[in-house]
Amino acid sequence: MNIQEIAARCSRCGYCNVCPTYRVEGWESVSPRGKIQIALSFLNGNIKIDARTVKDIFKCSVCGLCEEVCPIDLPLIDFWEELRYVMSKNGYAPLSVHKKLKEITYRYFNPYSGDQDRRDEWVNFEIKPSKTLYFAGCTASFKLQNLAKATANALNKLGIEFTIAGRNEYCCGSPFLRTGQKDIFEKLFERNLRYWERAGIERIITSCPGCYRTISRDYPRIAEEKGQEFNIEVVHTVSILERMGRFEEVEKKVKGTYHDPCHLGRHMGMYDEPRNVIRKLGIEFVEMERTKEYSLCCGAGGGLRSQFKEISFEIGKQRVLEAMETGAEYLITCCPFCEYHLSKSAEKLGNKIKVVDLVEIAEKLISP
Amino acid sequence: MDSFKMELSRSVKRYDFHPIQRMLYSQDLIRISPFLKRFIKYPVCIVQPESDEEVLATLEISRRFKIPVVPRGAATSAYGGATTLKNCMVIDFSRMNSFEIKNGCAVAESGVVWLDLEKELNKAGYALRVYPTSAPASTVGGWIAQGGYGVGSLRYGDIGKNVEWIEVADFDGVKRVKGNELKYYVGLFGTTGLILRACLKLRENREPSNYAVKCSFKESLNLIEGAYHASYMNRSLSKMVGCGDAESLLLSFEDQKSDLDFDVELGNKIWKRRFYLLKAAKNANIIFTEAVLPYETVSEFYQKVGNLAIKAIFTQDCVVMLGILPERGYYSTALKVVKFIKMAEKHGGRAYATGMLFPHKKILDEDIRDYKKAVDPENLLNPGKAMQSNAISKLIRLAEMIP
Ligand SMILES: Cc1cc2nc3c(=O)[nH]c(=O)nc-3n(C[C@H](O)[C@H](O)[C@H](O)COP(=O)(O)OP(=O)(O)OC[C@H]3O[C@@H](n4cnc5c(N)ncnc54)[C@H](O)[C@@H]3O)c2cc1C
Ligand code: SF4
Repeated sequence: MNIQEIAARCSRCGYCNVCPTYRVEGWESVSPRGKIQIALSFLNGNIKIDARTVKDIFKCSVCGLCEEVCPIDLPLIDFWEELRYVMSKNGYAPLSVHKKLKEITYRYFNPYSGDQDRRDEWVNFEIKPSKTLYFAGCTASFKLQNLAKATANALNKLGIEFTIAGRNEYCCGSPFLRTGQKDIFEKLFERNLRYWERAGIERIITSCPGCYRTISRDYPRIAEEKGQEFNIEVVHTVSILERMGRFEEVEKKVKGTYHDPCHLGRHMGMYDEPRNVIRKLGIEFVEMERTKEYSLCCGAGGGLRSQFKEISFEIGKQRVLEAMETGAEYLITCCPFCEYHLSKSAEKLGNKIKVVDLVEIAEKLISP
Repeated sequence: MDSFKMELSRSVKRYDFHPIQRMLYSQDLIRISPFLKRFIKYPVCIVQPESDEEVLATLEISRRFKIPVVPRGAATSAYGGATTLKNCMVIDFSRMNSFEIKNGCAVAESGVVWLDLEKELNKAGYALRVYPTSAPASTVGGWIAQGGYGVGSLRYGDIGKNVEWIEVADFDGVKRVKGNELKYYVGLFGTTGLILRACLKLRENREPSNYAVKCSFKESLNLIEGAYHASYMNRSLSKMVGCGDAESLLLSFEDQKSDLDFDVELGNKIWKRRFYLLKAAKNANIIFTEAVLPYETVSEFYQKVGNLAIKAIFTQDCVVMLGILPERGYYSTALKVVKFIKMAEKHGGRAYATGMLFPHKKILDEDIRDYKKAVDPENLLNPGKAMQSNAISKLIRLAEMIP
């Protein structure tokens, strides 16, 4: 089904009113149902859209909750991404900040303006050649280096040989694919793939669900479109920890809850692995009210944080409050972007809960 | 227009005049064909009140500028009640969405979504007696204004029987309505007043025990006694919604039953999917048709329409029959909708509700028109609905004449 056909199938039942941005903003034009109706009229040539409407369309973290609840199973995640692409193709997008991030990434190969030569600054071990690559991603390389270090330590402790691409690691392109900017996404795909082929990479480990989704789901698709081969296995660190890790239990009994990153959960269906690891660590585990398929997004993804900070933090705070309601001391997640955004949101609420990445805790407790 | 805008901006916080927003708020669940779209008028603006004061202020503006209002919940009613037929203001109640539990009842504002309410009540040990199967989206005010039956109606009856009182706003202010007076508001599609909040009767929260029984429709009528909720799907609907490939009766009891030898697994599956009738639309667009039948004649009616995908909802005093039609040609499907209701009428039944589509049906009490005139002399409350004809309902009347 193309997006016009998908839009025409929408029954307008409104079940997707659970959308976190709609719940904040409250206007039909921001609800998935409303956006679909706008898209349908626009694609059928019945309406003209203006800058405000385009903004409303982009008020979405592409978290996929709408797809989960849609009774007629419309493939809405793909729909939003394609719609954003159509907006870009027709000159209505990218929005200002998304465009700026693209320009930065064209220059630096990451959206944080980080010096590409210092991408592996966090590495405190000797890099050896291997067919397995740890792809740290931009956030862990430039913003949350402790996560990159913890992941590498964990892999070392588990006896997994791996290499690092260093200055040959480029942004996976996820932020751009999600915001309709396929041009730069394809360039980043090509650069990464070229290097991986040269280095004989057969397996990629990521600690970032955004990279994980993009490299395992979007790269093969784009490769096929371009008539290229893509035979690389992609795994997220947490599934390695679950499969191979034996852990000591935490010294002091602590209570923790888990936030499902949208790119790991709804987009990739990985719900149990992180929970199993948390339990193995001896953490008293409590679920939040909305979990797994129905988990509330952290509010950062899909370009929402970069372009619409207020909405994004409103959602982030809602999620932190939900975590606090469980009485947990730790809000554990498995995504550097969620960790970053939720900890900033927790800060706004007085830091009453500690936001941590699962890999960082688990790494310290791996049994020798 | 400028003074209207100025007045509005002084009186309410959330309003929107944007053309795309107006387009979106001009429609609800029913699909309107391109030809019929000429009868739809985009609203002038949308107002999202957050308090009674803002609702009253909007009504005052409506009166002063003679601009009608169309109330709106989640726009899931299939009778076009929230569709806009005139230059009007849409009053979207979704921002009035708080509630509290008081003396064993829930006092919920109009915009509260049924399922959100149910989840919160469950935490406090309570549960709704009845709710519509659109509960994930639809609102308290919207369902009361449409009127009807839902989950729990076998034991507890329609929504009207399960409200203690409602508070409504009209041009004279806010009033509390209860008892027999409720008939002037329940099922009136917001044509006599705007529902601000409702006091809902509750029950103790007990996990229902669910059973599925493979049986004929006629047999199902002998099995429903004692259940709090019961519904029946024929074979083609069971298949369409992914609940097996046989006709099945769902029986839900408020107490755990140990003496019933029915299919628990399938029963739980159908119960879990009670909100997901639209799964039937997975492979093709569908149109619903509905009618209310007396128990005495419903089997005979079923025999006549059983070739369609059918769901029956058993209630205290009648059976709601829902036909699901694949949309093969807009007008030919619409004719089938009309035929279904005509067939029900032949069997002593009636249309389920009025709204924009069936204001000519004699569902409402005779004195309701007088009541409307008294409370809304200038016809500003959702005109062209419930008891007033409109261009679309006139075409439906013509279609009804086709043998
Ligand atoms: C999947 C599905 C399942 C359904 N199941 C059921 C069911 O089990 N039983 C049933 O009866 N119906 C059912 N419906 C129809 C519909 O969902 C219900 O009638 C619903 O409760 C309407 O609520 P709403 O908030 O969507 O109201 P809307 O559609 O927004 O409004 C309905 C009518 O009420 C008026 N209105 C809205 N709010 C107010 C207010 N505050 N004051 C005055 N008037 C107001 C509107 O103008 C309109 O005329 C179903 C629909 C779908 C799509
Ligand atoms: S839940 Fe699906 S069918 Fe319903 S309004 Fe949203 S997108 Fe449309």
